Formats: sequence, C-alpha cells, structure tokens
Amino acid sequence: MSDADDFPGYREPTLSILRRFDTPVWSDIRAHTTRGLFEGLILPRAETADEAHISLKLVSGYNVGLRHDTIESIEKVGYRPADYRVPEEEFPFDPDKPRVILFGTGGTIASRLDYRTGAVIPAFSPGELYGSVPELADVCNLVTEKLFGVFSENIDAGHWKILAERCGQAIEDGYQGIVIGHGTDTMHHTAAALTYMVADSPIPIVLVGSQRSSDRPSSDAAQSLINASSVAAHGDIAEVLVCMFGPTSERYNLLHRGTRVRKMHSSFRSTFRTLGDVPLAMIEKGKIDPIKHDYVRRDPTRTPDVQPYFEDKTTLLYYYPNMQPDILHALIDNGYKGIILAGTGLGHVNSIQFEALERARDEGVQVYMTLQTLWGFVQMYVYETGREILERGVVPLANMLPEVAYVKLGWALGRWPNEPEKVREFMTTPVHSDMTAGEPVEGYLVFQGGVPEVQDFLKTIWS
Amino acid sequence: MSRKKKPILTASPPAPIDLNPRTDPPLDFPDRELDAMRPADYAELGFLCGLEVHQQLLTEGKLFCRCRAGQRSSRVDMEVLRHMRPTLSEMGEYDGTALMEFKTRKDVVYQIDRTTVCTYEIDDTPPFPIDSQSVRIALEISRLFGLNLVSELHVMRKQYLDGSIPTGFQRTALVGLGGVLPFQGSELGEREIRIRQLSIEEDSCREVSDLGHRVVFRPDRLGTPLVETVTEPDLLTPLDVARGGRLIADVARASGKVRRGSGAARQDVNVSIAGSRRVELKGVPHHRGLPLLVHNEAFRHLNLLRIRVELLRRGVEPVALAFDPAYSALESPLVLDAASIARTASYRPVRAAIDRGDAVWAVRMIGFAGLLAHRTQTGRTFAHEIAERVRVIACLTTTPFLINSDEHELVGGTWSELRKALRADGGDAIVLVWGPEADVDTAACEILIRGADALVGVPSETRQPHADGTTGFERILPGPERMYPDTDMPAIPVQDEWIEEIEVRLAEHPWEREDRYVRMGLSARAARVLGGARWAFLFDAMEPSTPACARRTAAALEKRLVHWWRESGTGELPAAERLAPLARAVDEGRVRAEAFERAFDRLLREPDATPAAIVSDFAASDHDAADFERAVSELERDAPAARHGDEALLHWAMGRVMPVFLGRLDPASVRARLHDALKCEEPV
Repeated sequence: MSDADDFPGYREPTLSILRRFDTPVWSDIRAHTTRGLFEGLILPRAETADEAHISLKLVSGYNVGLRHDTIESIEKVGYRPADYRVPEEEFPFDPDKPRVILFGTGGTIASRLDYRTGAVIPAFSPGELYGSVPELADVCNLVTEKLFGVFSENIDAGHWKILAERCGQAIEDGYQGIVIGHGTDTMHHTAAALTYMVADSPIPIVLVGSQRSSDRPSSDAAQSLINASSVAAHGDIAEVLVCMFGPTSERYNLLHRGTRVRKMHSSFRSTFRTLGDVPLAMIEKGKIDPIKHDYVRRDPTRTPDVQPYFEDKTTLLYYYPNMQPDILHALIDNGYKGIILAGTGLGHVNSIQFEALERARDEGVQVYMTLQTLWGFVQMYVYETGREILERGVVPLANMLPEVAYVKLGWALGRWPNEPEKVREFMTTPVHSDMTAGEPVEGYLVFQGGVPEVQDFLKTIWS
Repeated sequence: MSRKKKPILTASPPAPIDLNPRTDPPLDFPDRELDAMRPADYAELGFLCGLEVHQQLLTEGKLFCRCRAGQRSSRVDMEVLRHMRPTLSEMGEYDGTALMEFKTRKDVVYQIDRTTVCTYEIDDTPPFPIDSQSVRIALEISRLFGLNLVSELHVMRKQYLDGSIPTGFQRTALVGLGGVLPFQGSELGEREIRIRQLSIEEDSCREVSDLGHRVVFRPDRLGTPLVETVTEPDLLTPLDVARGGRLIADVARASGKVRRGSGAARQDVNVSIAGSRRVELKGVPHHRGLPLLVHNEAFRHLNLLRIRVELLRRGVEPVALAFDPAYSALESPLVLDAASIARTASYRPVRAAIDRGDAVWAVRMIGFAGLLAHRTQTGRTFAHEIAERVRVIACLTTTPFLINSDEHELVGGTWSELRKALRADGGDAIVLVWGPEADVDTAACEILIRGADALVGVPSETRQPHADGTTGFERILPGPERMYPDTDMPAIPVQDEWIEEIEVRLAEHPWEREDRYVRMGLSARAARVLGGARWAFLFDAMEPSTPACARRTAAALEKRLVHWWRESGTGELPAAERLAPLARAVDEGRVRAEAFERAFDRLLREPDATPAAIVSDFAASDHDAADFERAVSELERDAPAARHGDEALLHWAMGRVMPVFLGRLDPASVRARLHDALKCEEPV
C-alpha cells in the first residue's frame, strides 16, 4: 500500500479515490468517468488548487482536471515518474578568467518551476546554471553558494547580516567579484543594507534578479545574469550595485547604486530605476559604459569593514491626510527607537502629530523626514508647518529615499545603540550618494505617454 | 583552430503517436498528378491526414487581457526587442522545436500600435483572469462536436520560440476531447471523423518579416481567443481533407460565435503515408488549396522514403554523418574550411562570398552521390530540403548560399579537389556552403543532421504551404514536451450550470440545419449554401413559412446582399425586423413572390422608408384589376404600328406593365391578357 508521499498535493475526497484504485502520482491511467474516458498520467496536485479534482497529463501534453464525482473507475496501466532536472554539466574552469561567487537567496533569478507547488525553486548549482545559461562560462569561473531560499518579501535584517558576513568572507577568500541573486521586490532594501554593512569593499557586489522567471522562454534572467557576472568579474566599480534591465527590450542592463535605486513597477522588466540621479553605467553583452565617473574604483588592497548590525525597532511611516497621532504614540509605547517619516510635498505631516513628535524627541526616539514624492529634496523652511516640525526635533534627510533611510537608520541604531549623536551624525552624512548635493536636471524623468513629443521620442528610442 | 565548446541541449525523440501505423511504403507507386489519382490510389499510399482547425471566437475582448479582440493595425508607435530561450518541460525534457529556434539566435522585434495592446501583450504584465465569455463559447462548440468536457480547465503554456508570442509560449487550455462527427460529404461514402480534442487558446502575433537574424511581428492579433479543433487522422483522400475542413469550420460556425473573414480561420494539416511520420503543414488559410497541398506532400514523403531505401541499400548508416554538437562543425572530418580551394573556382557567388570575407565550408555527405538531385516535389530536389533547413536555422539570407556536387558544375576541378581534401569518393556528395562564419557553422551541422534524417525517411517537421501547392521547411515538429503548466493562472472548474445552460440552447449542427432548410422547400444546393452562410441567422429570423417564400428569401440573401454591400461599402447584415414584414406579406399572399427581390432591394436601400410602406407598394389591392384594364387600353393605343413579331411586342408590353403591377398580379395572366388585347396570333 502506498503512503501519503505517493499522493503529493492531494486531499480528500480525491485522495481516497487515488488510494482505492492504487494509482499514486505518476501512474499512467485510464479513467472511466461520467464525461467519458480520460487517459494520461496523474500529476502532483498544486497545493493552491482545490481538493475536488485530479490533475491528469494527457498524451498531447495538455493537463486537465477530473472532478472526483465524475470518476467511475480507474485502471492503472503504468508508472512513469518524472525526472525533472536542469541538465547538469560541469562548469568549465578557465585559469585566465576571474573567480566570481554567486550567492543565492531564493529569488526568481536562476530558478526553475516546481510543478507541484507552482513555485519557482532555484536551479543553483554551477552545473545547473551552466546547463541553462552556458554563456556564463565565457565570463568567469563561477562558484555558487545557496545562502537561503526565501522569497523577496521574507528577506529580513537577519538575512542582511548573514549576506554581509558572507561577502566579507568572499572578499577575504580572494574572489574578484560577488553576485547576489535576489528576489526583486526588496532588492533595493538589501542593496542599501549591504552598502552600509560592507563598507570599503575592494570588489563589486552586484545584486541581480529577474522579473520573468527562467522557466519562461522570454525570461530576463539570462541576460541579467550574464551582465551581472561581467560587472562582478571585470567591472571597475567596487560598490554595491543593482544590475537590472534598462529598457523592457532585451538590449542592455543598467547599473544602479544600491542607495539610489528603487523598484518602480510590479511587473515590467525595466522596473529598477535610479531616482534623483542618473544610473552609474550601462552594460550590454558584458561591455560596461560608465554614465557617471564618481564611483569607488576596484582596489584589491583595500580592506573591507563588515559591520552586520540592525536595530529591529526601526520603522518607516508613510504619512497620509487624517493620520491620527495615536500611531506615533503606539510606536513610542512599543519601544521604537527610530522612525523615518515619508512626508508629503517638501516634508510635511499634519499638525496634530506635533505633540507626539515632541514626546518622541523627549523620549530619545530619533525621527527623520523623507519624501513620498521620491524625487526632490526635503525643504522644511519654506512653509510654517515645516519649521514647526523641525522645531520638534525631526531631522530632514535631503533626497534620501525613504526605504534607504529606513535601512540606514536601522543599521546606525544597531551599530551605535547608545550613541544617539553618532547615529544622527551618520544619518546626515552622505554615504555612497544616498544624499546628493543636488539633483541633475535629467535625474527626474517620468514622461507621459500620449503627448506627441513623447510618442515621437518613444518611436525613436524604442526601435 | 580553437576547440570552442558550444552548449548542448538535447531533445527527446518523436512521439509514437506521430508514426503512420503502416510501415510498408509502396515505393514502386508512380509519381502522379492530383487529377490522375483515385481514392484507391491514396489507400495504397497509406495516405492519412488529420486537421487542426483554428477559429477565432467572436468576443468583445481578448482572452487574458481586456484589450479589444479582432484588431488589425499597421501603425507603429514603438518597438520592443526580445530573445527566446528554451526551457524544460515539467517532465524534464527539452522540446526539439525550442532547441531549433534557439539555434537561430534571432532578434525578435515587436512593432506596437499603442491603441491595440496593453502591457500584457508585450509580456510586461501577468495575465488577467481568463475571459469567461470565451470559455463558454469553447464549451458550446465542444458540445457541437460531441466532445467529453473536462471538469477543470488547466491553462498550459505551449512553447513557441519563433517569437510569434512575446512570452515565448501560448496560453492554451483543453476544453473537450473524444468526439465523433458524421461526415456525410466524404467521397468515400458515409463516414465519420473522430475529433481528438478542442482547446481554447490565445492567437499569436502576425509576422511582418523574417530576414536573417531579425524577425518582426505585430501583436495586434495576439491574445484574440480562438478554438483549435484537432481531428484524428481520418481523412483519407485530398478531396476529403478539404471537405472535412469545411465541415469542421461549419460546425463551429453553427454556434454563431466564431469570427469569419481573412485570417479568422486557419488550419494546420497533418500528413503521413505508409512508412512516414506526421508532418504538419502550418496555417493554410483556405480549403480550396488543400487537396493539391496534401497530394504533393504525400509524394514528397514517398520520394524521401525512396531516398532512404537507396541509402540503406548503399550501406550508409547514421553514424557516418554523426558529429559532436558541442564543438564547431569544423572539428568533424566531414567538414572542411574550403575557402582556399574554392578561391580557384570561377563560380561568381562563391568568389563574391570570399571577397566579402565570408566563411566557405565544404561538407562531405557519405553515400549521397546522386541523391541530392533526387526529386522530392514538383520542381524540387532533395538538395532543396537541405537548403531550406539551412536558410531557416542558420539564417543564411544571401542567395545562393550553397551548391552541391550533384547539381552544380564547378569549372577548374574544384569538386575533385574538395573530394580529395575531404577524403570523399565517388559515392559521396559534397555541399559547399558560405556566409558569416557562425552561421556557416550552424549550417554545416544542419546539413549533416538533415543527411542523417534522410535515413529516418521523413523527419517530423512543420512545413509552410506555398501558393504553388508545394511546401517548405518551417521548423522541427514540436512534441508534447513543449507543454507545461501556467503557474500564473489558477485551474478553472467548469460549472455544471454552464453546461446545463449550453445544452438547453445548443445550436443546430450544420447538417441538421441543412435538413431543416430542405424540409422548408429549398434545394439541396441552396440549403447547403445557406447553412454555411453568416446570414443563416437572418433567414431564420425572417421566418419564411411557405416553400416559395423560403426559396425567395434564401435566394435574395444569397444574391442581393452582396450587391448592396458592394454599393454601400459595408459588410453588415441588415436588421431582421426590417426584412421580416416582406417575408410575412409573401407568406400571407399579400405580395406575390416575384416581387420579393425588388422589395428586398428597396428595404436595403431606402432606410428612411418604413418596411410597411415599401411592402405595401407591392401588395395587391381591390382596384388592381381596374388599373390594369386602364393600362391595357393605353397599351392598345400606344402599340407600335410596325410589328416585329408577337414575342417582341409582348416583351415591350410586359416591360411597360409589369413594373407597375409587380407583386400584385400574376405575370402569366398579365401576359395572357396582353396577348389577347394586342391580338397576337402565336399561341401564348
């Protein structure tokens, strides 16, 4: 008799039916049903699917569901377990190529589909990667290490700390570059965290992800992986970078500074944008064209300073009209040590917060102001409200992105838990352009489609 | 020479389902023209054919996004560039087609009209919920085919790496399977066509151009819902292929919910003969050309099988043409960089290639001497099979890009020098191929692969129909490995209520409809035409009840609508409410049937006049007799003095009177009365 492992994904009432006819998953069957004869292979049932149907793969390749109450009898005619493997071939070693380490964290990059859960799971050994993106062997000698298998949204400060330590270790081990495969949703948070946690890196640390998992023919994973590996292996920019599609067309990737980048669309390939500045470089087929030149150069003699700290009692509060002050009070009551406000316009919240802000100041909770407009600078002197907020100890953070400010504050509070002045000083000091002296005029480009001149531009640029 | 390693991805072997059940090709059967063949001849060939009929559904929206369906535009607002890579199926295998498309290394360009697509079509947004109107139509059409309905739809991804779909796969779901259709029109007597399955899927992009490494598509059509109806290989003669295709199209049309017009219905035709395997002729847009296409394809199979047998007789084995795909083809002893030898040849295209800096390679095909010139189709030889494959996969575009020792003379002993260099003997054939080096490498591999495939006989391919009835290589035939589940879409349970609702108001089958029309008094021909016409619903809505009226109605719809469309520039069907009063008046005897067409024309052309007013112009009244007598007196007075015979006189008189009394008086009695009044002597 078969056990539960033979029926992955099946629950009652279908489970009993499959047991009764002794037809576990991967059985070749002929099912006699009230809707006719169905012949095929029983597949694992997706865990998110209902319990009323059996998944069957027909000889044509199509899958269909058979409802339990239509089944009259099932004949087992064979058993054919699937062998789902990315073809594994040894990753070739070339002594003339740089050594790059690829850390896996569990995003959709370099992944394959788990057909039972419908989830994407990492295809991660160098052999598997070589099997699916053989061009990587032209770029570098790749070593991979799977650190965790979590979706982007489940990445937390604990993961950042481990990543930072592993980066430090990899630098010590003499790798010429580090690539981190990461889910895209929170890639910019991780990029910021590593910027602060791994100071003075002598080599590039490149985060890469994909918006279309590599189980799709149109995936962006291969191009991005190839370009990210090239940047890590051969690039001269020893900073924490995000390497993602420039346009939605499969043409080039952009390199974004980890402190100025943000995911801006839920599903477009070109989702990552540098905000308030221009990106660092373009990279096409492994060739890097710098756009900015003020970056930190690769320098193998530099010693990294790895400081894996984070204060969990840090938050990011997105202001909205009619916000009640009890939220701020609740944060203080719950022992929060640092609060980043994402204020309106030039950096405002409503005046009914003033009393709570005073309480925060008096109780030593650090409060900083950033902008929900994302572009532009905090300027709290222009309006009366701004000045009143400043008077209550809220510190403006220029054009630092709210998420970056959150990560920076959490790190600083973790690094100097008992030195508020040190934290304040660090927060107001620009690090890797998390605040810039000004905004280049082309640092804000959000064009509006439909406008004739923009359409003309698109016609030229998207062709 | 660097031993540059290439990625190897291997495909799974062809499915047994693709093999013709008979393994004994009638090699001695003479090549004959289509019109010289009888059904029994095709039986001797073991000719089998199945159809995959694609028909767009008449829905408002597309299948997985809310853009409008049925659009067509040539406006280009912007372009998007993509590349495609093969991925594994859930069964852990690569699909052969996918691998082939990967080898072509094509830039895929989408030209976008911003008003016809959203970000779904360019694969920058996941699918929206499936269009439920489309699902219900597909269920209804499945029932018309008598299929067993699945109880849960699983949206699958069917890989298409040619770029015709920006995701790299087509979303498709199986709706029903296992039905039988009576095939009354078969030339083999009353038979049946088994329907294997029906699926609902999104239509692909339209191809604009495909040149070298750049293929251009327009995604306006992409995402339009369509049903694909797949038959078993039950069509046994070319004529039956066309008739079967018509029947299937008509069954789906009977629902009244499929699109018509150019591109709205296309079929893939699967052909095999004894000893061969399924070859798919892709996207045949009409039924007319089908017989010649499948006939030619059958004889292509026969010729390829003859080549196979000859190769086996010569003792050629697949291993003789084997090479290691991981390395450049030049690593094979069968391939040679022939630039230095070919330089001496006076053949202009080769010299031009050398001047351009192209690679010129020679490939030794062991045991193929004479066979490259073997006929395959009208005006085509086996060398064409090789050239087509090279053109498509290696993307060589500057023609010619290859020549062979069977068919081409090269002055100056080039062939013999190449033979010497390749250690080839008189039993071997040499192919010389030129172009950019990377492409020539792919080409050399493909030449050897096609050579090895000759030992299989007929390789599983998808082929393109040409206007002259021949076919050309399009791609390797995809197998079931190209299907994998779409994790973006939940399974869709088929509600029992939907099915009950469909069963209650299921449309008639075309043959039932035809029978009904015959019972109403139409001729078999008229019934068939009407049954398949898009105005059949209009006919039914006009509700003619007497045979005479039914015949007039059917004839007017068949003949007069076209005129009106041509004049007005529309293709729309008029409203039934406007036409029905005419049928009623004729049925009730208020208007005589002869007036039908004239009244019908006026109903179409005078939209401001009420139907009642137009019909009453043709209706009989109490004073018709008196009016007619007055008209007769006028005719007696106006009759010309010179007589050119009674017939001419009567003709003149009828022409004067009948337009006035059309619909009111019986033309025969009018004629009889005029005959008397005008003192005609010849009998009436």
